[in-house]
Amino acid sequence: MPDKNTPLVQGTLDMLILKTLALEPMHAYGIGLRIEQISKGVFQVNPGSLFPAFKRLERAGWLDSEWRATGNNRRAKYYVLTSSGRKQLKSETRDWKAQSVAIARILEA
Amino acid sequence: MNIFRNLTAGLKELVRRDKCESELSEELNAYLQNAADAKVQAGATPEEALHSARVELGGVETVKDEVRAVGWEFALEVFAQDVRYGVRMLRKSPLFTAVAVTAIAIGIGANTAMFSLVDAILLRPLPYPESQRLVVVGTQQRGRSGMDLMGTADFLAWRDHQQSFEQVAVLDQASRSFALSGTGAPERIPGVRVSANFFSIFRVAPLKGRGFQHGEDRPGTPGVVVISEHFWRDHLGSDPEVLNRTLTLDGKLHTIVGVMPAGFRFPSRKPVDVWAIRTLNPPAARPPYGLVGLGRLKPSVSARKAVAELNDFAAQVTAQYPSSPNLVGVMMPMKEWMISDVSTALLVLLGAIALVLLIAVVNVANLLLARAKVRQREVAVRMALGASRKRVVRQLLTESAVLSLLGGAIGLLLAYLAIRAFLAVGPGQMPRLEEVGINSGVLLFTFAVCVGSGILFGLAPALETSRPSLIEPLKDTNRSSSASAYRTHRALLVLEVALALIVMIGSGLLVRSFVRLSDVNPGIQTDHVITAAISLPNKYADPSQITQFWQQFLEKVQTLPGVKAASITMSLPPNLLAITNPFTVEGQGYDRNYPLQLAEEATVSPDYFRSLGIPLMKGRFFSPSDKVESDKDHMIVIVNETMAKQYFGDKDPIGRRIQTGDPDPSSPWETIVGVVGDVKYSGLDSGPGPTLYVPYNENGWVMWAREMYLVVRSSGSAPGIVPAIRTQLASMDSTIPLAQIRTMDELLDESLVQQRFRAWLVSGFATIALLLSAIGIYALISYSVSQRTREIGVRIALGAQRSNVLGLVVREGLQVLAFGLLLGLVGALSATRIMRSLLYSTSATDALSFIATSFTLIAVALLACYIPARRATKVDPMVALRYE
Repeated sequence: MPDKNTPLVQGTLDMLILKTLALEPMHAYGIGLRIEQISKGVFQVNPGSLFPAFKRLERAGWLDSEWRATGNNRRAKYYVLTSSGRKQLKSETRDWKAQSVAIARILEA
Repeated sequence: MNIFRNLTAGLKELVRRDKCESELSEELNAYLQNAADAKVQAGATPEEALHSARVELGGVETVKDEVRAVGWEFALEVFAQDVRYGVRMLRKSPLFTAVAVTAIAIGIGANTAMFSLVDAILLRPLPYPESQRLVVVGTQQRGRSGMDLMGTADFLAWRDHQQSFEQVAVLDQASRSFALSGTGAPERIPGVRVSANFFSIFRVAPLKGRGFQHGEDRPGTPGVVVISEHFWRDHLGSDPEVLNRTLTLDGKLHTIVGVMPAGFRFPSRKPVDVWAIRTLNPPAARPPYGLVGLGRLKPSVSARKAVAELNDFAAQVTAQYPSSPNLVGVMMPMKEWMISDVSTALLVLLGAIALVLLIAVVNVANLLLARAKVRQREVAVRMALGASRKRVVRQLLTESAVLSLLGGAIGLLLAYLAIRAFLAVGPGQMPRLEEVGINSGVLLFTFAVCVGSGILFGLAPALETSRPSLIEPLKDTNRSSSASAYRTHRALLVLEVALALIVMIGSGLLVRSFVRLSDVNPGIQTDHVITAAISLPNKYADPSQITQFWQQFLEKVQTLPGVKAASITMSLPPNLLAITNPFTVEGQGYDRNYPLQLAEEATVSPDYFRSLGIPLMKGRFFSPSDKVESDKDHMIVIVNETMAKQYFGDKDPIGRRIQTGDPDPSSPWETIVGVVGDVKYSGLDSGPGPTLYVPYNENGWVMWAREMYLVVRSSGSAPGIVPAIRTQLASMDSTIPLAQIRTMDELLDESLVQQRFRAWLVSGFATIALLLSAIGIYALISYSVSQRTREIGVRIALGAQRSNVLGLVVREGLQVLAFGLLLGLVGALSATRIMRSLLYSTSATDALSFIATSFTLIAVALLACYIPARRATKVDPMVALRYE
C-alpha cells in the first residue's frame, strides 16, 4: 500500500473531510478509512493532519460534533456537517472542478 | 471565518483546559480502539493490533500538540509560558534585573512625563468643539512680519461687516487683573475683559447662568461678569444663588451672570477668575491697539478668503483714519497662537530625553550581552533538545519585553510623580497645563515605548545568545570568549558614548546661553528696589484726581524712614513693558507705505530714574516743576541712548522734537530734554531699541496712569518697608490693593524662569546620560579584563610591566571613546541646529560648549576605564594561570 500512497494536494484534506461527512455523520477513524477506501488507497490520511483539520473546520463553523455510540458499542466523537459547511463544500467543489478542468487543459495542450 | 465562534471556542479552551484535554485524549483513544478493532477483524491478535495502530498514529502527544497549535489561544499560551520562564530567569539574577529595570524605569518615566506635556500642549486639539476653526486675529504694518494687536475701530469694522466667521470677539490684552473690593480686604484677582460674543465662540456651556449676550458690550450698558468655577468656590462659597450677585471690580459694580465650568480657562496661561465685559466705544482715533481678535471660521470658508476679507477691512479703516499707518490683517490658528513660544523648547526636551532613553536601552543591551555568555549554555541545551532558533529568540525577546514592561510600570509611577511636581511649579510658564495628565494616549505611548525598547535592547543579545554553534558553549571552557559578542558590545558602546555626547552638548549650549542671559545688564541698579502694582478704581475719574492721588501717595512713601526714592511707572524692567508707540522725528519725514518706527514707551514720575539708578547721559531728568498737565503746556520727553544714537548720531538731541502715535501733522510736538542709559523692557534677551519716557501726568497720558507700578529704592532691606507702604496706601484709599510685590532681583529671576527650567532639565538629562555611558564603559572594560585574565597573567609572568598592562586595557576603552566622540560630534552638529531659537548670543555650534563637554566625557570615561584596568594590573600570574 505505501507504494501507491500519494501525498494530498495542499488544502484538499478539508474538502475531502467535508465531502465524506456530506453523506452521514462519522467519527475520526471512519472518516480516515472512508477517504482511503473511496480513493482506492491512493490517499492515506495521517491522523496527525486529520485531528488538527477537525479542529480547524469546527472553529470555522463548518462542522459540529457530538459523542455517540459506535456500531461495535464503543463511544466516539461524531462530526456532523453544518449548513454553512454544506455551502462551503459546494463552493469548494465548484472551484476545484473549474481548476482541475483548467489544469487538465493545460497539461493536454 | 466566523470570528465570534473562533473567539469563544478559543476562550472556552483556555478556561476549561482540562475538559478539552480529556476530550481530545478520549477521542484519540477511540480512534486507536477503532483502528485496533479493524486490525483484529483482519486477523491480528489484540496486542499486535493496538501496537500497530499506535505506530500508525505516530505518537499521541505529537498529535495533541498539532491539534492544540490550531487555535489562536495556543500562541497566547506559548507567550504566557515564555513570560513565566522569563520571570523565573530574571528572578534568578536579581542584581542584573534591578539595574536593568532601574535604567529602563528612569528612561521611560522621563519620556512618559515629557510626552504627556507634548501631547497635552502641542498634539491634542484645543478642548473646544471643532477647535480647528478657532482663530486669533490681529493687525500688522504692511511689510512687517508677526502679529500685533488690533484697535477698536478695526474690530468694529470687522465685527459689523464680516461674512467669513460664525462669531467674532475680542479680549483686551491690557486687562490682566482686577481690583476686587467690597468683600473684605481689597485684592487683585486675575481676569480679563472680553466682548459680548466671546463665550459663543468657544461653544462651552456655562455651569450656571449664561455667557454674555449680544449687545452687552455696547456703550452705556451695565457691567456684567462671568466667573470661574474656582472663584465661585473659593470666594463665594459655591453660593447656589450666585447669579445676580454683584462684584466691585476696579471700583465699578458688575453683575454676575454666569459661572464657567472648571475646564474652561481661556486664555489659559494663568488662571482666570473673572471674565468682565469689555465695552466697545466707537473710537475717535485708530490707536491704541490693545485688542486680540478671536473668531470661529464658518465651515465652508477657507483661511485665505478670511484673510482677504480682513485685509479689505484693514484698508477701509486705514482710509477712514488718514493719519494711521497702512495696516493689514493677520490671522493664525488659535492653538498656534497659544503654544508658539513653547513648542520648540518642548520638542527639544522630548528629543533630549528620547536620546537618554536610547542610552539606557543600549546600556541594558550591553548588560544582556554580558549575560549572553552565561545564557549561551542554557540556550545551547534547549536548542540541542530541539528548540528552533526562532523559538529561542522569541523566548529571549519575551524576556526582555518583561524586563522593559516592569521598568515601564515603575516608570509610569515616576512619570506620575514628575508631572505632579511639574504642575506644582509650572503654572504661568506654559499654556494648557490644566490639560496635562496621564491619559489613554500617553499610556499607549508608554506601552509602545516599552515594547519597542524591549525589542531594541533584547534583539542583539538574543541573536548573539542563540548563535547556532552547539558545540562551543557546551564545552564550558573559559577560552571560548565570544569575539562577535564582544564586537557587538563595543559597537553599542560607541553608539552610547555618541548619544551621551549629543545630549551633553545640547545641555552645555543651554547652560551657556542661560549664563550669558543672566549676565545681561538690564541697565539698572537692581539691589534694594521693591516694586508693586497699584491700580486706581474708576472713581478716580478725571486727570486732576489721578495726579493728586499719586503726588500725595508718593510724598508719603518718600518720607518713610529708609526710603531713598519713590516713583511710579507704567512699564518695568526687565520684561513688563506695557506699550510700544510709533514715533517720527522732526525733519526726518515719514512714508506711509513703510513700517513705522516703534519705541518702547513708559510714563513715569520724576524720581523714576533715581529709583532704579538709570544713568543720565545728557540733559536732565523730569522735575516736579515741569508744567505738562494742560494741552497748552510744552510736551517733554526723555529718550534712551540707543534712540539718541540711531536718530541724531553725533548731534545733540537735546531740544530736538518728535511726534508719537500714528503720524499726524497736527499731533503735538514733544521736546527731548534728556538722554538716559538703555534699559531692557522686553526681556533680557531683547536687542537694543528706542525707548521713550514721558511724564505720567502729561495731558495725553494721565488717563492711562490708573494702573501703575510703584518703584521704591530703600537704604535697608527692600521688602522690610512693604508694611509701611501698605499702611500709607490704606490711609489714602482702603479699597486699593498693593499687588504683585516683588524685589527687582525677583523680577529678573522670574523673567528667566523658562530658560532656567530648560537649562536645569537638560543638564539633568545630560548627567544621567553621562553616568549611564560611564557605567557602560566600566562594564565593558571589566568584562574584557575578566575575559583576558589568563592572557594578562601570561604577559605579567613573561615580564610585562604593570604600566604596559594598564595601557593595553585602557587602549581598548580609548578606541571606543574616540569613535563615540567622533560620531557624537558629527551628530551634535546637526542635532543642535534645531535649538538655535532657544539660544541667547550662543551659536548652535559654540566651540567652547563642544570642547568642554567632550573633555568632561573623556575625563569620566577614562576614570571608568581606569578602575577595572587597575584591577588587571593586580592580576597574580600564578592565580591567573591556574584559573583554567
